[in-house]
Parts: sequence; structure tokens; C-alpha cells
Amino acid sequence: MNAHGAGGASPALARFAVSRARRRRDRLARGLITAGTAIALIPLGLVVYYLLHKGLGAWSASFFTTDPTGNTFFKTSSIGGVKSAILGTVEIVALASAIAIPIGIGVAVWLVEYGRDSAFAHVVRFFVDVLTGVPSIVFGLFIYIVLIVGTGSSYAGYKGSFALSLLMLPVVIRSAEVILMLIPGALRESALALGAPRWKVIARVVLPTALPGMVTGVLLAIARASGETAPLLFTAATTRNTDFNLSHFMNSLPVQIYNDVTSPTTAVVNRAWGAALALVTMILLLNLIARLVSRRSRLA
Amino acid sequence: MSTAALPGGDRSILERSPFARLPDRALKYGLTALAALILALIVYFFVRLFAESEPAFAHQGVFGFIFGNDWDVSGEKFGALPLVVGTLITSGLALLIGVPVAVATALYANELCPLRLRPALTVLVELLAAVPSVVYGLWGIFFLAPKLQGAEQWVADRLSFIPFIGGGAVTIPNYFIAGLILAIMILPIVSAISREVMATVPSDQKEAALGLGATRWEMIRTAVLPYCRAGIVGGAMLGLGRAIGETIAVTIVIGDAPQLGKHLFGQGYSLAAVIANEFGEAQGLHRSALFAAGLVLFVLTLLVNALARVLVSRASRVRGRSSTVSAASQPPSIAGAAAGA
Amino acid sequence: MTKNRIGALASVALLALGLAACGSSSSSSSSSTSAAGSTSSSSGSATVSGAGSTFAAPVYEQWASAQSGLTVNYQAVGSGAGITSLESKTVDFGASDPPLKPADEEAIAKNGSPAVQIPMFLGAITVSYNLPGVPAGLKLDAKTISDIYLGTVKTWNDAEIKALNPGSSLPSTAITVIHRSDSSGTTAGFTGFLTAADPEFKSKVGEGKDVQWPTGTGAKGNAGVAGAVQQTAGAIGYVEQAYALQHKFTYAAVKNKAGKFVSPTLASTTAAAEGLKVPANLGIKISNPSGAGAYPITSQTFIVVNKDLCKAGVPGGEAAAKGVVKFVTYGLNEGQPILSQADYASLPAAILTKSKEAAKTLECNGSPIGG
Repeated sequence: MNAHGAGGASPALARFAVSRARRRRDRLARGLITAGTAIALIPLGLVVYYLLHKGLGAWSASFFTTDPTGNTFFKTSSIGGVKSAILGTVEIVALASAIAIPIGIGVAVWLVEYGRDSAFAHVVRFFVDVLTGVPSIVFGLFIYIVLIVGTGSSYAGYKGSFALSLLMLPVVIRSAEVILMLIPGALRESALALGAPRWKVIARVVLPTALPGMVTGVLLAIARASGETAPLLFTAATTRNTDFNLSHFMNSLPVQIYNDVTSPTTAVVNRAWGAALALVTMILLLNLIARLVSRRSRLA
Repeated sequence: MSTAALPGGDRSILERSPFARLPDRALKYGLTALAALILALIVYFFVRLFAESEPAFAHQGVFGFIFGNDWDVSGEKFGALPLVVGTLITSGLALLIGVPVAVATALYANELCPLRLRPALTVLVELLAAVPSVVYGLWGIFFLAPKLQGAEQWVADRLSFIPFIGGGAVTIPNYFIAGLILAIMILPIVSAISREVMATVPSDQKEAALGLGATRWEMIRTAVLPYCRAGIVGGAMLGLGRAIGETIAVTIVIGDAPQLGKHLFGQGYSLAAVIANEFGEAQGLHRSALFAAGLVLFVLTLLVNALARVLVSRASRVRGRSSTVSAASQPPSIAGAAAGA
Repeated sequence: MTKNRIGALASVALLALGLAACGSSSSSSSSSTSAAGSTSSSSGSATVSGAGSTFAAPVYEQWASAQSGLTVNYQAVGSGAGITSLESKTVDFGASDPPLKPADEEAIAKNGSPAVQIPMFLGAITVSYNLPGVPAGLKLDAKTISDIYLGTVKTWNDAEIKALNPGSSLPSTAITVIHRSDSSGTTAGFTGFLTAADPEFKSKVGEGKDVQWPTGTGAKGNAGVAGAVQQTAGAIGYVEQAYALQHKFTYAAVKNKAGKFVSPTLASTTAAAEGLKVPANLGIKISNPSGAGAYPITSQTFIVVNKDLCKAGVPGGEAAAKGVVKFVTYGLNEGQPILSQADYASLPAAILTKSKEAAKTLECNGSPIGG
């Protein structure tokens, strides 16, 4: 770094100086990168402002503690809050995560540690990639066809979780795989050389090292699943009351928002925006908590 | 591990009991079974979709469905070409706008950002992922689209000589807005994965480049980006997948006109949007046509992914590495040499 | 350290799973719930599930909130999906705006008992517009509306519109046509009206939940059309009556068969079904009504069930069967006054009586439930 700023350096070192063209290119590139970041943050600011503007007014103590009543026309009575929706989302997404995360990480570990370059691994990898492109509504319809129409049974919360876990699976697998692949082979080799069995290398060396990166991928998958409406419309359906039983209909924030936002009653539409704001806040909190729990540790 | 007896008759401390292999084997077979199970699930998914879409293909013919230019529900004609084109246009736009910005954000966070601001920036970008898709759609149609209409009209008028961009009236919901909203939606995924990948670049590689006199940008260009290419492409593939499959947000902002998109600022339709819009009221043949649309999306993602793989592997081969997988799983040569020196 | 991290995450996951798994339902609001998929439960509380029409959803939700000892879970997934759900026994009752097609009647009957469709209430489709300076009540007829939607009438001061409104001063603003982008019964009702009145529209566009519009912008849902109309000066769009009334839109007075220009009020909507010929299966369809005070773009909505709910095997069992009848009977009696508060129109007395009779014929394993 001593070759930069060659202005007053001795003539012998002058030929190592950074040419003006290179310096210009450097500054241009840096400017573009900074501009790109600013561009990325502008829509965030706008959306958050829009959400706050429309949703904050709906927040109140009763908003979080009462269930929606379906009572939309009587001017004197209350339309209720979104308690059942919040609890429903937490449950449905928790179950979906409990399914998708272990399976996803397991498949990613297999792909990187055992499958590697084999033809079978290529096939699995390929199809997982393809799964990322399936629209969320098709997952819901698949579960609808298989688990509802196919078995002649009714909507249920856990069926919505299945649809969501299908949605999360490729994201978890792919992002975990990307991170795991970048762990230097030297790390694994030194652990093996020290006599550790394969499973211990994976459990004690590889996974912990990859943990912060995988947490990012997992959080992205959870965020996506929490905000998806389409998979739940035909699977978990909706109900107004708080019901912890996943084999019953279950309310959820995205479906509540989706239904409310098209209502003719203004108060109900406001409740929809309040619910959207609540959803974003919940995911933000989850993000922060998860980051605190897995404190950052970089590889090198 | 040697099992040769040491002098004195003790067993080698390196020797392991026969049962020590068991957890390894269990893990290996267990995980292999898991991967096979997931593959079987995906194949079953594909098969089931196909079964449901059979009537539509029988009615229309496979090529008639994909390349037919007429989606007419009441006339029971289901040509999905406008939908396929619409999906390609919006996803292409999303990638075109979203990936460079996402990579720029990741670069900034890793290389240029002051250390104290880094966690804040990370959280902010990931906040974009927390917003539900229906909110993006509504924000797009009620806030963004009207605000940009004037600018879009200006661009359409000034650049009217370019066939796809110019000419024609600018409608409020249009392809461009849909692509823009999608770009915003894929930003967090691509950015987060790129960032994670960039964070794993060994710092001795970066320092070596800087030590040789590279400017910051040159260091990024030579030491960081090549190392991360496979990972960034992986992130971009995830983003593309999201863009192709995004349903609700696109439905709200694309205008839902099943006409072949001649015009960037005109209305369009996408495969996912048509399913969302019409499934509730669809019965019989119409319904199976919608499943067929889902199947086409599946195949579309398949083709795009295959294409991306071919391109990336060809690029790596040109640069002298064997394949993206093995290249990424081994430490790059520079770091190896530096470590060994 | 690693163990702590993994342990923390694992405990969070387990907690969530535990919350999910320990399944006894607990509710802190009024109605109680019981297992949806099981057979008959004890008296006092039951859960009923229904799916279908989005148009009727707000009313059914309102009626549901007034029930005690009965939880009604209604999914507004669309009339088509509602009927399909009923056919596959996913829900206890279905709700549809258009009357049942013969194929659907057969499919529902396959479950072991014939289908019964009960007309519940009516709603109108307004032709709303956004034209500063022009008040509500602009006179339009089917031909003019059809020409607007076909794209032949392009500006507000076109001769056709002027001819109907000699006294008003109309600006030369271009007409921005808004239509629905999603499949909807509202589109079916609107196109049904135009098809019946204008042969040109019939041949060029036709009737259906989802048609090929020759011109105009698509918007999703009633809210989308309403929003689009509000955003654009000179826009015209077809919006459900409840929506238009609640948000005080400006809408047109449409010419009916008798030659009168009628505004979409609740009274004129009910008048549209007066004297309607009711077929044996109660599958009424309002099309070009002939009454003097009738608003011509009106549609009906039904609740569809099997005649013998228990024999057909509704998912909620006997308790749900009784619950459905209780719900329907409530809607046809005590629920009627709520309609006007919600800006929906009630059926004329003659048809309402027939609906009530139909509800009385519903039975469970041979014995009638109703009352």
C-alpha cells in the first residue's frame, strides 16, 4: 500500500505509482458500488415509510390481543384485532421450519460431503434448483390435490406448513450448500488427520464454521415463508378464532392481510396494513434475535 | 490408522473399535437416503402436476399449449405463449436490475463499508425480505406505478426508435413495474448470499493483491469476485427462481392482459399470475390448464438452470479450472501457494 | 460455545414444535371450537366450514360473528373453488354466485344426496366512473356501455353519451376503461348484462368470468378496479355495489328493459328479482329484468349443500350438518336486516319464502333438521 499516492515519492518508485487511469477507475467503481447500495436502500425506505404510514394507525392494545370478529358493518361494534393471525403464523411457520431446516441442511451436507461430483449429486442439485422456480401457489395446489382432495379431508394448519416447507426447502438447501462448499478442504483434512471420525468432522468442525452463513440462508427462507399467502389459501384456510391445534383451520397473517385488504370497509383495510406492519416487525425481531444467538465468526 | 501392535503389546492409540465406524456409516447412508427421498418427492411433484394437466394437453396439444398465442378462457382455448413471454420478460428484468445492485450492496458491505455500519446495513437489506409479497404488490400499484408513469412515458417517447421500449401508451400496471418490483424482491436473497460468500474469501488473498499494488477495485476484481463467482451465481439462481415463481405481487402490478408483450411499458401477464387469478373460479378443463401452466413454469426453471450451469461451467473451463463444484470445494491455488510458501 | 449456540436454536425450535403439537384447542374469544374432522360432538358447540363466493364473504362473516355456540369458518376462494370443495367433501357447504351447472349438480349428487341451492341475497354491479365535474347518475344504456368497453366510444363527450344526457356538459377527456383481471363472478354478471342487451358485444367478447377484453386495463379484485378508477381521471370501471356504496363512488344510472334509467340502490336491486321465474331447483339467474324500477345489472348468490348432509358425509359430521342449517336459517331470517346495513340487497319476499322452504327440507340421515 506504499505504492499509492506516489506524488512526492522518489523517481525510482515512480513506476510503481498508481496511474491516474487506474485511480479514476477505482474511484468510479467505488462510486458505482456505493450508488448501487444506496439504490438498494431507497425502495426499503419507501416501503417501510408506506407501511408505517398506513399501518401504524391500526396498532393498539386490542389490535394484538383480540381475534378478528368478522363484524365489519355494525358501526358500533369492533372489528377486532389480529391475535389469531399472529399466533397462527408463528405456529405454521415454526412447523414448516422444523421440517424444512433439518432436512435442508441434511441434504446440503450430503451434497457437499458425500455426493460431491457424482452424477446422482448433480441430479439432486439440479432438481433442487428447479424447485426454487415453482410459484408458491403451485406448492399450495400440490398439497391441496394430494392431501385434501386426494384424501377427502379438510383444510388444516399442518397442511399449510407442508406447503410452506416445500417452499423453504430449496432455499435452505441451496444457500447451505453454497456456504458449505466454501469451507476450505484444509479444515476438514486437518480434523481427519487428527483422527476424528467423519461424522465428528461434520458435526464439530464443518457445521459450526458454516453456522453464521447458514443462519442467513435459514432466516431468508423463514422470512419468505412467513410472508407467503398463496400456499395457505387452499391448504390451511382461515378461521377467526385462536386455535392452537394444527389439524384444524388456522388463521395466518398473510391470509388475513389478503382477505382484509380487499374489503369495502375502510377500518378493515387499515387493519390489513397494521397486520402487514406487524408481520414485518416480527420477522425483523426474529432476524435480530437469531443474529445475537449466532455471533459472527469468520473463516479466516 | 495402524493396528500394528506396538512393542509392549499395547494397542495403538490410533486404533478404533469396530463400532467406531457405525456412526459414520449411519450418517452416510442416512443422508444419502434423505437426498434420495427429496429427489423422489420432487419427481412425484412433477408427475402429479403432469397428471393434473393431462386434460389440457390432450385438448390443446403440448406445443399448442406452450406456443399458442391465445389464452381465451370462455372460448376454452389455452395458448400460453403470452404468459411464457411475460414470465421471461419480468424475470429477465428482475435479474438485470436486481443482481448488479445486490452484488454492489454485498461488495459495499464487505469491502467499503465502515465496520460499525456493517451489521446495520446487513439487517436493512434483509428487511427487504421480510415484507410480504402482497404488500409489495399493493405498494407497487398504489405508490410506485403512478409515480413512475411520467418518467416511463418520457422514456417511451424519447427512445421510441428502439422497438421494444418505445412507442405505445404507458399503462400504470406494466412489465417494467413488475420487473422492478421483482428486482426489489430478489435483492435480499442475492445480496445476502453474495455477502456470505464474499466474507469467506481468505484475507491473505486480498492482502496479497493489495500488497502487489492493486487499487481497492482491482483487488476486488482479481481476488474477491473470481473466488465468489460460483456462489454469486448460486445466489442469482435462487433469485431467478423467486422471480419466475413470484405470484401475488406480479399479479397485482402486471395488468393481467394475456396479450403478447410488444411493449415494455404495456400490460402483460405471467404464468404464476394467471394461476393466482383464475384458480378460484376454474373448473374442469380450465383448471387443468392452470396446472399445465404450473408445469410449464417448472420446465422453464429447469431449462434456465441448465443453461446457467452450462454457461458457468464453460466459463470456468476457459479459466482453467475443471468444474465449478470441485473448484469451489478446494482452496484456490493462490491461497494454497501462499499457505505453502 | 458451539453447544450453546446449537442448544439455543434447538430449544427455540422445540418450543415452537411443542406449542404446535400440544393440540388442545384453547380460545380466548367467545365461540369455542371442536375437532373439525371427527364425528358428532356434544351439543352446544360445533364447527362448520364453508367455501366459495368472494362476493358474499363479508355477509357470511358478519352472520358468522353473530352465532353463539357455532363457529363458521368461511373461505373466500371463489365460487368455482367453493363448488369443487363441496364436491370433494372438503367443506360442509359451498357458496356460489352463478347457479349450478348440470355437471356440478351431478358431481355433488355423487356424494350420496342431491344438491340443493338456496338463494340468499342479491347484489348489484355499478358502473362507476371518475369524472371531475360530472355528478353521480350519468345516464348510460347497455349499448353505450358496451361500446365503451369495445373501444368504439373513446371520449366522454362522444355523441352516444351526449344523446343520453342532453342536459349535462361532458368534458372531452379520454375514457380509460378498467376491467377485472382475475376470474370473477362480477365479470360474469357484467358481461352477462352486456351480452343479453348487445349482440355485437356477444359476438366480440361474450359472457364469462374471464373474457378477452378488446381494450382497457386490468385490475385485480374489486379493490383493484376501485383503486384504478379513483386514480385516473376519466376512468370507468364495474364495481360491486357494496364497495361503491361504502366508498361513495359516482356511478351511472343504467337504462333497464322498461326504458327507465335506474341508479343502483338497494331497492332497485331487489326490484330486479321481482317476478323472476324460479325454476324447480331454485337456480335463479337475473338477466335483463323487466320491472320498471329494476336495476338491470344485478346478480344473486347461493349457498349450496347436499339435501341429506349426513348421508353425503360432510367433514364436520352431524354437528356440522345441524350447524349449517342453523346458519342458513339464521341468514334467511334474523340475518336479513343486516344486509341493508352492509349495503347488500335482500331477495324479494316470494323468492325468500322459497329459500326458507328449501332450508326446511334439509335433513340428516332421513330426518329433517330445519326449523
